Amino acid sequence: MTSTSTPHPAILSVGRALPPHYVDQETLIAALSAYWGARHFNVARLADLHRAAQVGGRHLALPLSEYPALDTFQKTNAAFVRVGADVGEAAIRDALRRAGLSPADVAHLFFVTVTGVSTPSLDATLANRLRLPATVKRTPIFGLGCMAGAAGIARAADVLRSFPGEVAVLLSVELCSLTLQRDDASVTNVIASGLFGDGAAAVVLEGGGRGEARGVPRVLATRSVLYPDTEWVMGWDVVDTGFKVVLSARVPEVIEANVGGDVDRFLGEHGLARRDVRHWIAHTGGPKVLEAFRAAVGLPRAALERSWRCLREVGNLSSASVLFVLGDLLDAGEARAGDVGLLAAMGPGFSAELVLLGW
Amino acid sequence: MTVRESAVAAEILRIAHDDLGIDGQPDAAEALQGALDSLQLLSLVVAVEDRFRIILEDDDAARARSVEDLARIVAARADPALLPAAAVEARSP
Repeated sequence: MTSTSTPHPAILSVGRALPPHYVDQETLIAALSAYWGARHFNVARLADLHRAAQVGGRHLALPLSEYPALDTFQKTNAAFVRVGADVGEAAIRDALRRAGLSPADVAHLFFVTVTGVSTPSLDATLANRLRLPATVKRTPIFGLGCMAGAAGIARAADVLRSFPGEVAVLLSVELCSLTLQRDDASVTNVIASGLFGDGAAAVVLEGGGRGEARGVPRVLATRSVLYPDTEWVMGWDVVDTGFKVVLSARVPEVIEANVGGDVDRFLGEHGLARRDVRHWIAHTGGPKVLEAFRAAVGLPRAALERSWRCLREVGNLSSASVLFVLGDLLDAGEARAGDVGLLAAMGPGFSAELVLLGW
Repeated sequence: MTVRESAVAAEILRIAHDDLGIDGQPDAAEALQGALDSLQLLSLVVAVEDRFRIILEDDDAARARSVEDLARIVAARADPALLPAAAVEARSP
Protein backbone atom coordinates (compact mmCIF):
# COMPACT_ATOMS: atom_id res chain seq x y z
CA MET A 1 0.00 0.00 0.00
CA THR A 2 1.39 3.41 -0.88
CA SER A 3 0.15 6.93 -0.44
CA THR A 4 0.57 9.73 -2.94
CA SER A 5 -0.95 12.62 -0.99
CA THR A 6 0.94 12.61 2.31
CA PRO A 7 4.32 11.26 3.38
CA HIS A 8 4.44 7.71 4.58
CA PRO A 9 4.24 6.99 8.32
CA ALA A 10 7.60 7.44 10.06
CA ILE A 11 9.32 5.30 12.66
CA LEU A 12 10.61 7.83 15.18
CA SER A 13 12.25 5.55 17.72
CA VAL A 14 12.65 2.10 19.19
CA GLY A 15 12.77 1.65 22.97
CA ARG A 16 13.98 -1.52 24.61
CA ALA A 17 13.87 -3.06 28.06
CA LEU A 18 15.35 -6.27 29.40
CA PRO A 19 14.59 -7.82 32.79
CA PRO A 20 17.55 -7.43 35.18
CA HIS A 21 18.16 -11.13 35.78
CA TYR A 22 20.87 -11.98 33.25
CA VAL A 23 22.06 -15.59 33.25
CA ASP A 24 24.84 -16.87 31.02
CA GLN A 25 24.19 -19.91 28.86
CA GLU A 26 26.43 -22.30 30.81
CA THR A 27 24.62 -21.49 34.05
CA LEU A 28 21.29 -22.10 32.32
CA ILE A 29 22.57 -25.38 30.92
CA ALA A 30 23.55 -26.50 34.40
CA ALA A 31 20.17 -25.52 35.84
CA LEU A 32 18.17 -27.25 33.10
CA SER A 33 20.39 -30.32 33.21
CA ALA A 34 19.32 -30.72 36.81
CA TYR A 35 15.70 -30.97 35.59
CA TRP A 36 16.29 -33.17 32.62
CA GLY A 37 19.27 -35.20 33.81
CA ALA A 38 16.94 -37.70 35.43
CA ARG A 39 15.04 -38.10 32.15
CA HIS A 40 17.94 -38.38 29.71
CA PHE A 41 20.94 -40.71 29.93
CA ASN A 42 23.26 -38.52 27.87
CA VAL A 43 22.93 -35.10 29.49
CA ALA A 44 25.96 -33.84 27.59
CA ARG A 45 23.96 -34.08 24.37
CA LEU A 46 21.35 -31.70 25.77
CA ALA A 47 24.11 -29.27 26.70
CA ASP A 48 25.44 -29.51 23.14
CA LEU A 49 22.00 -28.63 21.82
CA HIS A 50 21.96 -25.50 23.98
CA ARG A 51 25.44 -24.48 22.86
CA ALA A 52 24.42 -24.97 19.22
CA ALA A 53 21.90 -22.14 19.65
CA GLN A 54 24.91 -19.77 19.74
CA VAL A 55 23.31 -17.76 22.52
CA GLY A 56 25.65 -16.31 25.14
CA GLY A 57 23.00 -15.78 27.78
CA ARG A 58 19.49 -14.60 28.46
CA HIS A 59 17.78 -11.96 30.58
CA LEU A 60 15.13 -13.78 32.61
CA ALA A 61 11.85 -12.39 33.87
CA LEU A 62 12.62 -13.71 37.34
CA PRO A 63 15.69 -14.75 39.31
CA LEU A 64 16.62 -18.31 38.39
CA SER A 65 15.86 -19.45 41.93
CA GLU A 66 12.18 -18.50 41.57
CA TYR A 67 11.40 -20.74 38.57
CA PRO A 68 11.03 -24.04 40.48
CA ALA A 69 8.00 -22.65 42.29
CA LEU A 70 6.21 -21.89 39.00
CA ASP A 71 4.42 -25.21 38.78
CA THR A 72 1.08 -24.09 37.31
CA PHE A 73 -0.05 -21.98 34.36
CA GLN A 74 -1.74 -19.62 36.81
CA LYS A 75 1.59 -18.88 38.48
CA THR A 76 3.59 -18.43 35.28
CA ASN A 77 0.91 -16.25 33.72
CA ALA A 78 0.64 -14.11 36.87
CA ALA A 79 4.40 -13.57 36.62
CA PHE A 80 3.94 -12.62 32.96
CA VAL A 81 1.37 -9.97 33.85
CA ARG A 82 3.46 -8.56 36.70
CA VAL A 83 6.87 -8.51 35.01
CA GLY A 84 5.42 -7.81 31.57
CA ALA A 85 3.86 -4.59 32.82
CA ASP A 86 7.21 -3.48 34.25
CA VAL A 87 9.34 -4.17 31.17
CA GLY A 88 6.57 -2.95 28.87
CA GLU A 89 6.37 0.35 30.73
CA ALA A 90 10.15 0.74 30.60
CA ALA A 91 10.23 0.04 26.85
CA ILE A 92 7.48 2.57 26.09
CA ARG A 93 9.06 5.25 28.27
CA ASP A 94 12.39 4.66 26.53
CA ALA A 95 10.80 4.89 23.08
CA LEU A 96 8.84 8.08 23.89
CA ARG A 97 11.94 9.70 25.39
CA ARG A 98 13.96 8.90 22.27
CA ALA A 99 11.17 10.31 20.09
CA GLY A 100 10.86 13.48 22.16
CA LEU A 101 7.18 12.78 22.79
CA SER A 102 5.07 12.33 25.90
CA PRO A 103 2.36 9.81 26.82
CA ALA A 104 -0.25 12.49 26.06
CA ASP A 105 0.76 12.33 22.38
CA VAL A 106 -0.17 8.65 21.95
CA ALA A 107 -3.42 8.03 20.05
CA HIS A 108 -2.97 4.31 19.27
CA LEU A 109 -1.40 1.53 21.31
CA PHE A 110 -0.75 -1.80 19.62
CA PHE A 111 0.31 -4.60 21.97
CA VAL A 112 1.73 -7.88 20.70
CA THR A 113 2.73 -10.97 22.64
CA VAL A 114 2.54 -14.72 22.46
CA THR A 115 3.89 -15.61 25.91
CA GLY A 116 1.06 -14.62 28.27
CA VAL A 117 -2.61 -13.67 28.39
CA SER A 118 -4.76 -11.29 30.41
CA THR A 119 -8.04 -9.45 30.14
CA PRO A 120 -7.94 -6.51 30.26
CA SER A 121 -4.74 -6.93 28.29
CA LEU A 122 -1.44 -5.38 29.35
CA ASP A 123 -2.02 -2.36 27.13
CA ALA A 124 -4.85 -1.28 29.46
CA THR A 125 -2.59 -1.61 32.49
CA LEU A 126 0.08 0.42 30.75
CA ALA A 127 -2.38 3.07 29.51
CA ASN A 128 -3.20 3.66 33.17
CA ARG A 129 0.38 3.57 34.42
CA LEU A 130 1.61 5.91 31.71
CA ARG A 131 -1.48 8.13 31.85
CA LEU A 132 -2.14 7.76 28.14
CA PRO A 133 -5.16 9.72 26.87
CA ALA A 134 -8.49 8.16 27.82
CA THR A 135 -9.29 8.14 24.10
CA VAL A 136 -6.31 5.95 23.21
CA LYS A 137 -7.28 3.19 20.78
CA ARG A 138 -5.92 -0.13 22.04
CA THR A 139 -5.25 -3.11 19.78
CA PRO A 140 -3.95 -6.21 21.56
CA ILE A 141 -2.72 -8.90 19.17
CA PHE A 142 -2.01 -12.43 20.39
CA GLY A 143 -0.71 -15.37 18.37
CA LEU A 144 1.45 -14.02 15.59
CA GLY A 145 4.52 -15.24 17.47
CA CYS A 146 7.94 -14.18 16.24
CA MET A 147 6.33 -12.34 13.32
CA ALA A 148 4.34 -9.92 15.47
CA GLY A 149 7.02 -7.24 15.75
CA ALA A 150 7.07 -6.80 11.99
CA ALA A 151 3.30 -7.26 11.69
CA GLY A 152 2.73 -4.72 14.48
CA ILE A 153 4.71 -2.07 12.61
CA ALA A 154 2.71 -2.87 9.48
CA ARG A 155 -0.68 -2.66 11.23
CA ALA A 156 0.27 0.57 13.02
CA ALA A 157 1.40 2.08 9.72
CA ASP A 158 -1.89 1.02 8.11
CA VAL A 159 -3.83 2.91 10.79
CA LEU A 160 -1.62 5.99 10.55
CA ARG A 161 -2.36 6.23 6.84
CA SER A 162 -5.97 6.76 7.89
CA PHE A 163 -5.02 9.10 10.74
CA PRO A 164 -1.93 10.88 9.39
CA GLY A 165 -1.89 13.47 12.15
CA GLU A 166 -1.61 10.92 14.97
CA VAL A 167 1.01 8.95 16.89
CA ALA A 168 1.00 5.20 17.42
CA VAL A 169 3.05 3.06 19.77
CA LEU A 170 3.70 -0.61 19.13
CA LEU A 171 4.67 -2.60 22.22
CA SER A 172 6.05 -6.13 22.19
CA VAL A 173 6.44 -8.00 25.47
CA GLU A 174 7.78 -11.53 25.33
CA LEU A 175 8.72 -13.44 28.48
CA CYS A 176 9.56 -16.74 26.85
CA SER A 177 11.23 -18.22 29.93
CA LEU A 178 7.84 -18.32 31.65
CA THR A 179 6.49 -20.69 29.00
CA LEU A 180 9.13 -23.35 29.61
CA GLN A 181 7.52 -26.75 30.13
CA ARG A 182 9.87 -28.39 32.59
CA ASP A 183 8.29 -31.81 32.33
CA ASP A 184 8.62 -31.84 28.55
CA ALA A 185 12.01 -33.43 28.01
CA SER A 186 11.55 -33.64 24.23
CA VAL A 187 14.35 -32.55 21.97
CA THR A 188 12.12 -29.77 20.59
CA ASN A 189 11.59 -28.34 24.06
CA VAL A 190 15.27 -28.67 24.92
CA ILE A 191 16.17 -26.70 21.79
CA ALA A 192 13.57 -24.03 22.56
CA SER A 193 14.82 -23.72 26.13
CA GLY A 194 18.29 -23.01 24.82
CA LEU A 195 17.17 -20.33 22.39
CA PHE A 196 14.45 -18.07 23.75
CA GLY A 197 14.91 -15.14 26.10
CA ASP A 198 12.86 -12.37 27.68
CA GLY A 199 12.49 -8.72 26.75
CA ALA A 200 10.26 -5.90 25.57
CA ALA A 201 10.50 -3.37 22.76
CA ALA A 202 8.38 -0.38 21.81
CA VAL A 203 8.24 1.53 18.54
CA VAL A 204 6.91 5.05 18.18
CA LEU A 205 5.43 5.83 14.77
CA GLU A 206 3.86 9.03 13.56
CA GLY A 207 1.55 9.71 10.63
CA GLY A 208 2.87 11.44 7.56
CA GLY A 209 0.78 14.52 8.23
CA ARG A 210 2.54 15.47 11.46
CA GLY A 211 5.56 17.18 10.01
CA GLU A 212 8.90 16.61 8.46
CA ALA A 213 10.72 14.09 10.59
CA ARG A 214 14.17 13.67 9.08
CA GLY A 215 16.78 10.98 9.39
CA VAL A 216 14.22 8.34 10.34
CA PRO A 217 12.80 5.48 8.28
CA ARG A 218 9.35 5.67 6.76
CA VAL A 219 7.13 2.67 6.18
CA LEU A 220 6.86 2.67 2.39
CA ALA A 221 4.87 -0.55 2.05
CA THR A 222 4.09 -3.81 3.81
CA ARG A 223 3.40 -7.39 2.76
CA SER A 224 1.87 -10.33 4.61
CA VAL A 225 2.23 -13.84 3.23
CA LEU A 226 0.43 -16.89 4.65
CA TYR A 227 1.79 -20.19 3.41
CA PRO A 228 -1.17 -22.52 2.80
CA ASP A 229 -1.58 -25.61 4.97
CA THR A 230 1.49 -25.02 7.14
CA GLU A 231 -0.22 -24.48 10.50
CA TRP A 232 1.66 -27.50 11.85
CA VAL A 233 5.10 -25.90 11.36
CA MET A 234 5.18 -23.75 14.47
CA GLY A 235 2.98 -22.71 17.38
CA TRP A 236 1.74 -23.66 20.82
CA ASP A 237 -0.13 -26.67 22.09
CA VAL A 238 -2.09 -25.19 24.99
CA VAL A 239 -1.82 -27.68 27.86
CA ASP A 240 -2.72 -27.62 31.56
CA THR A 241 0.66 -26.16 32.42
CA GLY A 242 0.60 -23.46 29.75
CA PHE A 243 2.10 -23.19 26.30
CA LYS A 244 3.96 -26.21 24.94
CA VAL A 245 6.13 -25.40 21.97
CA VAL A 246 5.48 -26.81 18.50
CA LEU A 247 8.53 -26.39 16.32
CA SER A 248 9.12 -28.37 13.16
CA ALA A 249 12.56 -29.09 11.80
CA ARG A 250 11.12 -27.97 8.47
CA VAL A 251 10.92 -24.28 9.45
CA PRO A 252 14.23 -23.46 7.70
CA GLU A 253 13.10 -25.48 4.69
CA VAL A 254 9.82 -23.55 4.38
CA ILE A 255 11.70 -20.26 4.68
CA GLU A 256 14.33 -21.19 2.14
CA ALA A 257 11.72 -22.42 -0.33
CA ASN A 258 9.48 -19.35 -0.17
CA VAL A 259 11.00 -16.18 1.21
CA GLY A 260 13.30 -15.36 -1.69
CA GLY A 261 10.41 -15.27 -4.14
CA ASP A 262 8.21 -13.32 -1.76
CA VAL A 263 10.93 -10.72 -1.23
CA ASP A 264 11.49 -10.38 -4.99
CA ARG A 265 7.80 -9.96 -5.77
CA PHE A 266 7.33 -7.42 -2.98
CA LEU A 267 10.37 -5.38 -3.97
CA GLY A 268 9.51 -5.66 -7.65
CA GLU A 269 6.06 -4.16 -7.08
CA HIS A 270 7.86 -1.06 -5.83
CA GLY A 271 10.40 -0.92 -8.60
CA LEU A 272 13.16 -2.38 -6.44
CA ALA A 273 15.40 -5.43 -6.41
CA ARG A 274 17.47 -7.13 -3.70
CA ARG A 275 20.55 -5.13 -4.68
CA ASP A 276 18.68 -1.91 -3.81
CA VAL A 277 18.25 -2.93 -0.17
CA ARG A 278 21.05 -1.56 1.99
CA HIS A 279 19.68 -2.58 5.39
CA TRP A 280 18.35 -6.09 6.09
CA ILE A 281 16.54 -6.18 9.43
CA ALA A 282 15.77 -9.84 10.04
CA HIS A 283 14.15 -11.60 12.96
CA THR A 284 16.88 -13.39 14.88
CA GLY A 285 15.14 -16.78 14.90
CA GLY A 286 17.98 -19.15 15.55
CA PRO A 287 21.11 -20.17 13.66
CA LYS A 288 19.20 -22.37 11.20
CA VAL A 289 16.50 -19.76 10.59
CA LEU A 290 19.06 -17.01 9.99
CA GLU A 291 21.03 -19.22 7.64
CA ALA A 292 17.85 -20.18 5.78
CA PHE A 293 16.86 -16.53 5.40
CA ARG A 294 20.34 -15.59 4.25
CA ALA A 295 20.34 -18.39 1.69
CA ALA A 296 16.80 -17.60 0.51
CA VAL A 297 17.69 -14.00 -0.22
CA GLY A 298 21.26 -14.69 -1.32
CA LEU A 299 22.94 -12.43 1.21
CA PRO A 300 26.48 -12.42 2.56
CA ARG A 301 26.61 -13.35 6.24
CA ALA A 302 27.69 -9.82 7.15
CA ALA A 303 24.32 -8.48 5.93
CA LEU A 304 22.62 -10.11 8.94
CA GLU A 305 25.33 -9.38 11.49
CA ARG A 306 23.00 -7.27 13.65
CA SER A 307 20.60 -10.21 13.91
CA TRP A 308 23.40 -12.63 14.77
CA ARG A 309 24.71 -10.27 17.45
CA CYS A 310 21.26 -9.84 18.94
CA LEU A 311 20.88 -13.62 19.05
CA ARG A 312 24.23 -14.01 20.79
CA GLU A 313 23.56 -11.29 23.33
CA VAL A 314 19.97 -11.91 24.41
CA GLY A 315 18.65 -14.97 22.56
CA ASN A 316 15.47 -15.11 20.51
CA LEU A 317 12.98 -12.64 22.00
CA SER A 318 10.17 -13.77 19.71
CA SER A 319 8.31 -10.71 18.36
CA ALA A 320 10.63 -8.27 20.15
CA SER A 321 13.75 -9.58 18.39
CA VAL A 322 13.31 -7.83 15.06
CA LEU A 323 12.54 -4.61 16.93
CA PHE A 324 15.80 -4.93 18.89
CA VAL A 325 17.63 -5.32 15.57
CA LEU A 326 15.85 -2.26 14.17
CA GLY A 327 16.71 -0.27 17.30
CA ASP A 328 20.34 -1.26 16.95
CA LEU A 329 20.36 -0.02 13.36
CA LEU A 330 18.78 3.31 14.33
CA ASP A 331 21.26 3.75 17.20
CA ALA A 332 24.18 3.16 14.84
CA GLY A 333 23.09 6.08 12.66
CA GLU A 334 24.39 4.33 9.56
CA ALA A 335 21.38 4.89 7.33
CA ARG A 336 21.46 7.83 4.95
CA ALA A 337 18.75 9.67 3.06
CA GLY A 338 17.65 7.55 0.14
CA ASP A 339 18.59 4.24 1.75
CA VAL A 340 16.15 1.34 1.50
CA GLY A 341 15.68 -1.27 4.21
CA LEU A 342 13.68 -4.47 4.45
CA LEU A 343 12.43 -5.63 7.83
CA ALA A 344 11.37 -9.27 7.81
CA ALA A 345 10.05 -11.82 10.25
CA MET A 346 8.40 -15.20 10.03
CA GLY A 347 6.08 -16.89 12.49
CA PRO A 348 3.16 -19.21 13.18
CA GLY A 349 0.72 -19.62 10.34
CA PHE A 350 3.25 -20.34 8.85
CA SER A 351 3.67 -16.86 7.52
CA ALA A 352 5.98 -13.98 6.76
CA GLU A 353 5.71 -10.25 7.23
CA LEU A 354 7.79 -7.84 5.17
CA VAL A 355 8.12 -4.11 5.82
CA LEU A 356 9.77 -1.85 3.26
CA LEU A 357 11.54 1.10 4.85
CA GLY A 358 12.92 4.21 3.20
CA TRP A 359 15.14 6.88 4.71
CA MET B 1 21.42 -59.39 11.20
CA THR B 2 21.48 -61.67 14.21
CA VAL B 3 18.30 -62.42 16.09
CA ARG B 4 19.55 -60.20 18.86
CA GLU B 5 20.18 -57.30 16.46
CA SER B 6 16.80 -57.83 14.84
CA ALA B 7 15.11 -57.64 18.23
CA VAL B 8 16.89 -54.37 18.97
CA ALA B 9 15.92 -53.00 15.55
CA ALA B 10 12.29 -53.87 16.26
CA GLU B 11 12.51 -52.08 19.59
CA ILE B 12 14.00 -48.97 17.94
CA LEU B 13 11.16 -48.92 15.41
CA ARG B 14 8.66 -49.27 18.26
CA ILE B 15 10.24 -46.30 20.06
CA ALA B 16 10.05 -44.22 16.88
CA HIS B 17 6.37 -45.00 16.44
CA ASP B 18 4.98 -45.31 19.97
CA ASP B 19 7.17 -42.97 22.03
CA LEU B 20 8.09 -40.30 19.49
CA GLY B 21 4.95 -40.43 17.38
CA ILE B 22 6.90 -40.50 14.15
CA ASP B 23 4.52 -41.31 11.34
CA GLY B 24 5.68 -43.20 8.30
CA GLN B 25 8.46 -44.82 10.28
CA PRO B 26 11.35 -46.13 8.23
CA ASP B 27 11.87 -49.72 7.33
CA ALA B 28 14.79 -51.16 9.33
CA ALA B 29 16.98 -51.18 6.24
CA GLU B 30 15.89 -47.75 4.96
CA ALA B 31 18.26 -44.79 5.13
CA LEU B 32 17.47 -42.76 8.26
CA GLN B 33 18.53 -39.47 6.72
CA GLY B 34 15.87 -39.66 4.04
CA ALA B 35 13.08 -41.03 6.23
CA LEU B 36 13.39 -38.65 9.18
CA ASP B 37 14.00 -34.93 9.43
CA SER B 38 16.85 -33.67 11.56
CA LEU B 39 14.74 -33.15 14.70
CA GLN B 40 13.17 -36.59 14.39
CA LEU B 41 16.57 -38.19 13.89
CA LEU B 42 18.00 -36.39 16.91
CA SER B 43 14.95 -37.32 18.98
CA LEU B 44 15.40 -40.96 17.99
CA VAL B 45 19.09 -40.91 18.92
CA VAL B 46 18.26 -39.41 22.34
CA ALA B 47 15.47 -41.94 22.89
CA VAL B 48 17.77 -44.84 21.96
CA GLU B 49 20.41 -43.54 24.38
CA ASP B 50 17.79 -43.32 27.12
CA ARG B 51 16.28 -46.74 26.42
CA PHE B 52 19.55 -48.69 26.19
CA ARG B 53 21.62 -46.41 28.46
CA ILE B 54 24.45 -45.97 25.99
CA ILE B 55 26.11 -42.90 24.52
CA LEU B 56 26.15 -42.59 20.75
CA GLU B 57 29.11 -40.57 19.52
CA ASP B 58 29.32 -38.61 16.29
CA ASP B 59 31.19 -41.53 14.67
CA ASP B 60 28.31 -43.81 15.55
CA ALA B 61 25.85 -41.45 13.93
CA ALA B 62 27.97 -41.39 10.78
CA ARG B 63 28.08 -45.20 10.66
CA ALA B 64 24.40 -45.69 11.42
CA ARG B 65 22.79 -45.09 8.06
CA SER B 66 19.75 -47.22 8.87
CA VAL B 67 17.89 -48.62 11.86
CA GLU B 68 19.68 -51.91 11.19
CA ASP B 69 23.06 -50.18 11.52
CA LEU B 70 21.92 -48.47 14.70
CA ALA B 71 20.67 -51.78 16.09
CA ARG B 72 24.08 -53.42 15.50
CA ILE B 73 25.80 -50.67 17.48
CA VAL B 74 23.28 -50.91 20.31
CA ALA B 75 23.37 -54.72 20.45
CA ALA B 76 27.15 -54.69 20.70
CA ARG B 77 27.34 -52.02 23.36
CA ALA B 78 24.28 -52.15 25.59
CA ASP B 79 24.06 -54.03 28.86
CA PRO B 80 22.36 -57.35 27.93
CA ALA B 81 19.97 -56.85 30.81
CA LEU B 82 18.56 -53.82 28.98
CA LEU B 83 17.95 -55.57 25.67
CA PRO B 84 14.44 -56.60 24.56
CA ALA B 85 13.22 -59.94 25.79
CA ALA B 86 13.45 -61.47 22.31
CA ALA B 87 17.15 -60.61 22.16
CA VAL B 88 17.80 -62.12 25.58
CA GLU B 89 15.96 -65.31 24.64
CA ALA B 90 18.01 -65.50 21.46
CA ARG B 91 21.29 -65.74 23.32
CA SER B 92 19.99 -68.32 25.86
CA PRO B 93 20.86 -71.98 25.22
